[in-house]
Order: sequence, then C-alpha cells, then structure tokens
Amino acid sequence: MLNVIVYGLAIGAVYAATALVYNVMYSTSKVLSVSTGHISMLGGIFGAYFLAQLKLPLIIGLLGAIAVGAAFNYLTELIAVRRVLARSDEHLWLLSTLAVATMISQIMALWWGTEPKPFPRLFPQGFSQGIADQKYWLPIGATIIGAVGLEIFYRRTMYGKLFIATSEDAFAARARGINTDRIRALSYVLSGALGGLAGFAAGQLTFAYFALGFALTLNGFIAIAVGGLGSNLGAVIGGIALGMMSSFATYFFGGEYQQTVAIGVLILVLIVKPEGLFGSKQVRPV
Amino acid sequence: MFARVTPARGLTVLSALLLAFVSTAGVAYAQAKEPIRIGWLSSLTGPLSSAAIAENKGVQFAVDEINKNGGIIGRPVELLTRDTAGEPTKAVNFANQLLHSDKVHFIIGPVNSGETLATVGVVAKAGIPNLIIGALESLTNPKKYPRAYRPIITNGQWIRAANNYAIDTLKKKKVAIVGDTSGYGTASAKQAAEMLEKRGIKPVISLIIDANKADLTDEFSKMKAAGADVIMPWTAATSLLARMLNTRGDMQWDVPIVGHPALMALPVKPLLNKPEYWNNAFAAGYRTSTYDENGKLPPRTVELMEKIKPSLGGKIDFTFWWVQLGYDCVKIIEHAVIKAGSTDPAAIEKAMNETKNLEGSFTTYSWSATERDAFPDADAVMNIAGTFKDGSFQLAPTK
Repeated sequence: MLNVIVYGLAIGAVYAATALVYNVMYSTSKVLSVSTGHISMLGGIFGAYFLAQLKLPLIIGLLGAIAVGAAFNYLTELIAVRRVLARSDEHLWLLSTLAVATMISQIMALWWGTEPKPFPRLFPQGFSQGIADQKYWLPIGATIIGAVGLEIFYRRTMYGKLFIATSEDAFAARARGINTDRIRALSYVLSGALGGLAGFAAGQLTFAYFALGFALTLNGFIAIAVGGLGSNLGAVIGGIALGMMSSFATYFFGGEYQQTVAIGVLILVLIVKPEGLFGSKQVRPV
Repeated sequence: MFARVTPARGLTVLSALLLAFVSTAGVAYAQAKEPIRIGWLSSLTGPLSSAAIAENKGVQFAVDEINKNGGIIGRPVELLTRDTAGEPTKAVNFANQLLHSDKVHFIIGPVNSGETLATVGVVAKAGIPNLIIGALESLTNPKKYPRAYRPIITNGQWIRAANNYAIDTLKKKKVAIVGDTSGYGTASAKQAAEMLEKRGIKPVISLIIDANKADLTDEFSKMKAAGADVIMPWTAATSLLARMLNTRGDMQWDVPIVGHPALMALPVKPLLNKPEYWNNAFAAGYRTSTYDENGKLPPRTVELMEKIKPSLGGKIDFTFWWVQLGYDCVKIIEHAVIKAGSTDPAAIEKAMNETKNLEGSFTTYSWSATERDAFPDADAVMNIAGTFKDGSFQLAPTK
C-alpha cells in the first residue's frame, strides 16, 4: 500500500508540474496551450539524449533539457500564440497550439523513434530500493522546487510583480507602461524551463518517449481544472490528488478504470465547483 | 447476290479493318502493360511503427525483385504505400483513396489489428482482394469478407502456443494473466483466460494495466500474493513488458514470464535495468525465424536473408519474420495473378481458394473456400527472449 501512495505522489507531482506550467502561461496570455505536456516530453527526451548519448555531465544535461523546454515554449508563443492573439479574440490558439503539439510529436517520433528509450540513473543507486528509489523522489522534488520557486518569483521579484499585474489586468498594465508582449514571452520561457525540468526529473519514471506529450497535456489540464485555474497551490494539490486517485483506482479496481476515474473527477469538480478547489470566481464588473 | 466491290469501297473497308485491328491491338497492348497496383497500408510512423518498418523492407524488396525480373505476367508492379501512423481513421481514409482513386488491384494491410478492424469491411465492400496481417480472429470471415486472406498467425495460435508451453513444458498451473488497457490487450487477456479454462486451468489472477503505467510493484505484489508460478502477458507495448521484467528483477522473484512475441522484441533490451532481467522469459515465435538445436535457421530463411542483406547494409537489427511476411505478401499476390491469369478479383478469389501448400519464406500457405487463415499450428514455436541474433531467436527448451 505504501508503494501505491508513493507512486501516486510521484506521478501526481508530474501532473502538478504540468499544471504549474499551464498556470504561468495562462497568467499572462489567457491561453491554455495544447503543447503544455510536450515541454516535459522534450525535457525527458533531450535529457536522455544529452546524458546517455552525448555523455554530457549531469549538470550540463539538466541545463540543456531546461533550455530546450524554454526555447520550445518561446517558439510556441512566437508562432502559435502571439500572432493569433494579435489578430483575433476567438479561441483560435486552441488550433494553433494543437498544430504545434502535433508537429513536435511527429518530429520527435521521426528523430528519436517511436519506441520508449531509457533515461539514465542520475545518482548511483541500486535497482532494488523499493520506495526509496530516486525515480519516485526526483519528480516530487522538482515539483516542490518549481512551486516554491514560482512563489518566491511572484512575491519577491519585480518581474514577478509585472507578471501578476499583467495577469490581473493586461490593459491597465499596458497603460502603466508595462510591455505586456515581452512579459508574456518571458512567462513562456519561464514555464518552458519549468516543464523541461519536470520532464528531466521524471525521465526514469516515464522513460524518454515521444507519445508522452498529449497524456501529460490532458492530465495537467485535469489537475488545473480540479485545483483551480490561476492558483499554484491548486495546481499542486490538483495534480497530487489526480495522481493518488489514479493510483488507488488502478490498485483497487484495475488499470481499465484509471482514465475513467481521472475524467470522472474532472466532470464532478466542474459540476460542483466549476472554478476548481482553489480558483476564484470570474466576476465581470459592470 | 453479292454487292460489287469497287476499288474505292474496298479501300475504305480495308482501312476500317486496319484501324479496328490497330485499335484492338493497342488496347490489348495497353492492358498487358497496365501495372498491377498494390496498395500497402503501413503504420510507418506512430507508436506501432517498428513492425511496419521491418515489414516494409520485405514488401519493397519483393516488388523490386519482381519488377527486375519483368513483372508479373508481363505487367510491372506498382506499389502505393500509405502511412497510416497506426490510426484507424487514417487507415480508412487511405483505404478509400487506394480503392476508389488509385484503383488498386490488391491491398496489403493495415499492419495492426485495430486499424484492420476499421478497414476490412471497406475493402470487402469494394470487392478488392485484401491480405490481412492483423492477428485478431475476427478479421477474417469467408462470408463477410470473401476476398480477405490472412498469411499471418492468429492471436489464438500465439496464445495456444504460449499456454501449451507454460502448462506442458514448464509444468506451471498457477497462471497470472496480464493485458494492457488497449482493445487488443483486454480482448487478448480475456481470450487467454478462456483458453486456459478450456484446458482446466483457472488463472489465479488477471490484471489489466495501462501501458504507460510507470510502476508495477503493486501488480507484481498482487500476483505473488495470489501464488502465481507463471506470468503470461498479452500486450504489444514494449515499455510495459520491459517494466514487467524490471519489476520482477528488482523484486528478485524468478517467476517465468511467457507470452506475446513483443516480449523478445529488440526495443525491450535498452529499457532493462540489467541485461539478466531478460532471463527466464519466453515468447511465441515462428519456426522459420528460430535457430534449431544445431544453431541453424531453415534454408528458406537463409535464402531470403542472403538476398536481402546487402540492401540492409549487411546487418539485420530488427525481427526478421516481419521482413519474411512482407516479402511473402507480395509473392502471394504474384502467385495468385499467375494462377488467375489476370487481376480480375473473382479470378483471384478462385486462385486463392485453390492455393495449397504454397511455400513462402515465412511459412507454408493454404487457403480454401471456407478457410481464410493460412498459418499452420506446426510453425508456431516458443523462443527464448533475449537471444536475438540476425533477427531470429533460439528455440525455447522443450523439456
């Protein structure tokens, strides 16, 4: 049973990190990018590529994976978000980010291959460690670092305050002289780095696999919907709750019910508390 | 009685006759040289591509070989390959394109059962002969799909071979069955349990696991607690199979794993925590890609291997039976066209129904008016996982 809990925490941490990535991007652009899960997929694949194939040192591999995540998300903002937001108020970003997600999946399938590949051990440790295995604790640690880091960034730094100002009222922020386009691009770089870190840390758990992107996009979205869009605490709690419920559902009812439980939770929360557990109700001033 | 033929009228009649002859000869010539178009629905990209990529090498090689030798009954072979990416909707769209726009004479594939379930009815409706290379039983039916012929083994034959090995050779009775959450995985796990029960063995536990589930410790703890003395996985997901082998190894539980051919697939190897975790694992395989007790492959396999090796850069780093099957699919079409004397679908159906003991590289094929599955039980064997060499495997111990 302890293993069910630890696995639920670990996979929940990956969902939580994806939910945090959603939040950072949403705060400045009001866009829920379909390519969010693909950032972590890239973190895992490039982490494995740098460490196992290019034999680079751990720190270089880690920084490389983070840089790839940041660069990919910056390109997403540039190609699929900026121009769409500039030309239309409709939710056309759904299509443009879906196109980016599909393209990056196909590119990775062609370059990396369609079979999962191993992610190397990051620290010397035997394989019969049970719940002490690093594959469980690395994603949990990365998500904690990401969540705490974001809180410090938002509360203690000038750029963090600019993010919050843009999030609360982009027009007012622009009137105050904030370059909101630049802030949005920065938020995509920051969230991309976080996604890359999460994918790198979870590599041993998920393997380096091109098809991981859409699964993480979906589960990260469920986590953010459950926790409440805009709330980082909600993202973490939503992700962990989803991971735990999936793990328990598999243990007690079998793997065939895992997705049913995840989608069931989403529907239930949307019915009972549409704004999520920690989300605030959208009030339109009149 | 007869009208008098003037020179002018004679010239006109002669010209008309000449024109008619030239036109007829032209049409006949054009027909004789019309390419035989083969539609090849192959998941060359996507999550199930490794088998299709290998099979494509065999298909392409056979087409090149036939064309180099002058084609089939004087007609060149034109291969129209469509990448379905493993998606049933794409497979159906491409099948329709091949049937109605490209007007193919034959369709090979798709490669996976899930895609074939979607296309087999579409191809049957168009009346075009279809070589089925999915393993699910329901994909062939002489009444519903009269021109669908299967050269590959069926899922039931795989399961039977593995069940027989676990029960009769390994003498195991407490079976744990594992399937994945895909349609294939759940259906196969159910079928495996039913076939075991027919042999008087009720599985001690049956588990369905998400193919992407990253940790299987609890599933293995459950199987151990249930008293399982053999684990039988029915999934084509190499990551799930590798995780099963890793979990067993990490738990230091030396229970045999016996099941799906993907258990010995090469992509499993790099995912293993330790190479020895592949020991004590056995997978359903084929006599023609199995080394005998003397370490020799059957002559028909060696013959194709030697022919195709140069085009593969001198080495075979994928499961060779897929290449054999791809090669045979085109050679089966060649056999049917020669026997029928044309590409007329009705004539091809008759020729296929009368095919007896056609020796291919992969197996020996026989079909009839009531039998659409050609693979003989005798050619299904068990292999030792982790013994990959030149795309083939060692025979599992028989005692």
